[in-house]
Amino acid sequence: MSLAIECVNVTKVFGKTQALNGLSFKVEPGEIYGLIGPNGAGKTTALRIASTLLLPTSGILKVSGLDVIKEAAKIRSFIVYLPEEAGAYRNLSGREYLEFMARFSTKDKGKVHGMIEEAAGISGLGERLDDRAKTYSKGMKRRLLVARALMTKPKLAILDEPTSGLDVLHSFHVREVIKRYVREHDVTVLLSSHNMLEVEHLCDRVALVNKGKIVAEGKPQELKQKFGSADLEEVFAKVVGFA
Amino acid sequence: MLKGFINMLVKELKELMRDPKIFLGMIVIPLIMFPLLGGIIGFSMQTAQESAQRAVVLVVNHDSGPNSTQFISYLNSSLNVIRIDVTTPVNVSVLMNQYNATDAVEIPSDFSENVTSKQPVAVNFYSVFTGSGILETVTPSTIDALVEQYNRYLAPDVVVPEKSVIIKGTIVEGVDPRLLSNLMISQAIAMPITMIILLSYSMQIAATSVAMEKEEKTLETLLTLPMDRFSILMGKLSGSIVVAGVGAVAYMIGFNFYMGSFTGAIPAGTSVDLASLGLVPSLFGYLLVGISLFVTLLSALALAVIVSAFVEDVRNAQSLIGYIYPFVFIPSLALIYLDLNSLPFWLRLVFYAIPFSHPIIASKAVVMGDYLTAIIGIVYVAAFTLVVMYVASRLFATEKILTAKLKVRGLRRREKPPAEGLE
Repeated sequence: MSLAIECVNVTKVFGKTQALNGLSFKVEPGEIYGLIGPNGAGKTTALRIASTLLLPTSGILKVSGLDVIKEAAKIRSFIVYLPEEAGAYRNLSGREYLEFMARFSTKDKGKVHGMIEEAAGISGLGERLDDRAKTYSKGMKRRLLVARALMTKPKLAILDEPTSGLDVLHSFHVREVIKRYVREHDVTVLLSSHNMLEVEHLCDRVALVNKGKIVAEGKPQELKQKFGSADLEEVFAKVVGFA
Repeated sequence: MLKGFINMLVKELKELMRDPKIFLGMIVIPLIMFPLLGGIIGFSMQTAQESAQRAVVLVVNHDSGPNSTQFISYLNSSLNVIRIDVTTPVNVSVLMNQYNATDAVEIPSDFSENVTSKQPVAVNFYSVFTGSGILETVTPSTIDALVEQYNRYLAPDVVVPEKSVIIKGTIVEGVDPRLLSNLMISQAIAMPITMIILLSYSMQIAATSVAMEKEEKTLETLLTLPMDRFSILMGKLSGSIVVAGVGAVAYMIGFNFYMGSFTGAIPAGTSVDLASLGLVPSLFGYLLVGISLFVTLLSALALAVIVSAFVEDVRNAQSLIGYIYPFVFIPSLALIYLDLNSLPFWLRLVFYAIPFSHPIIASKAVVMGDYLTAIIGIVYVAAFTLVVMYVASRLFATEKILTAKLKVRGLRRREKPPAEGLE
């Protein structure tokens, strides 16, 4: 069985800026893998390359054995990508937005309806799903988008800061939903986060990214033991020489 | 005085005026566009007047008396007259064609006799109608002025002009070429106005639709969906066409009522039925104009999509679209009045090179039965559209749609660095 993601020595250059500098990691199927690091570390660029939005300048990135450069269209058929600051269409209701997205996965009306119901459950938006997205708060919008990402039960979900903008309770709910989907529907998750606590509770393995490359990788517990730290924040500070 | 108003106003003015897109789009472009338009029309008027002085006016003289000779000499003082004396009835249209004349005066055999006795005498005036614009009325206007002066010199209404136009080789009696030309222009105004409204609305819609996807951060999600990237582009273009089309229909209905409110007040006897003169397009002509308008619309929309791909938000997209407007406005407004053939060759090429000129050129050409001009225009605009669509589809097919960004100061394109959002 091929790896869910295989990233080998990937670089990405924007003009004079090197966003990724030899990034390498592997994600097993059914795993929740987290990229953590400060702003500008290269997490979002890595997720965008994995989701076929950007091309690597050099190196290889394969998703389920498919090359992101040569087989991007095939990859898009089984992944979902949730950008960090994504919005919904202002003049569509939440339900219409979900229907629009579901129709890319199936033409079967029954299945589309099932996905929408699934998403309604994940988002917890209830009757507000019939209101236009422009009336939603930031948190409601995020819950809608997380629900959109998971309702199709994708083979690979690439989630950039999945709980960004959510309060404590909704963040907890979203994390539980992600764990449940991985367990029950064989979804693989690649996510990024600033929130080390969140990553610690959610991810099977994490990679600490700094200046475009991975500076440490492993299970959260192992990393904490290895660096003799109480939490991942401290691990990161020690790895980058901040502490 | 409102507290803090001045401070707020100064801040707003600084922010708006320092935005190069607003400064260029709102101030510099109108300052250049309208003088340029005026210059083109003024230059064309001057050229037309010069060519009117050189234009051949054929005088077909059936009279053998001295007054006709005097009248012809009088006309010759301001016009380039070729005199033909005849004693039998002739086909003036054939003679005009033979002498390459645009206007003709036919003096009857009783001219001298009537002028001597100060009795009204009908003189036939013929003018070839080409439908090319207001400038083709320069020679008939000059003849009118000369006849008026001649009558003033002799006695009121001695020379009674009987006006006819020659449309597509056929003489149509009792139609004043100036009235016909003015009527054609008033009818022809609808097309440029439609062009301006339709193109500017639809470009705004298309650009806003792409920029909105970027501003609302929905584009990234869209680009990772299992769909053809070309479908995204075509979906956006088609949506814009439908909305702009509905808008244009609504506008034209309103405009029709507006025009009807004027023409309804004109007495029925003075109106000219363009359909009976063969001066309305045939069904094929309408079809060609429709196709021309459609391909032009498509090129404008694709251009708008390309432009909006280089900005991050709706405001910047709309500002950038403003740079395309002169290419819509100038040909639309200029071609209401101008005959392209009266322009110097290089200026004619400029008009032909602008795709947005072609629906107007086609709408004028098909009225006169010139389908070839319309077809060549369609082929040119279709080729232009294909190139623009190809560029737009390449933009959507690659990461450029996300990373390309136009730096307006100096109009230099650059790739967006990670610090500005790509991390």
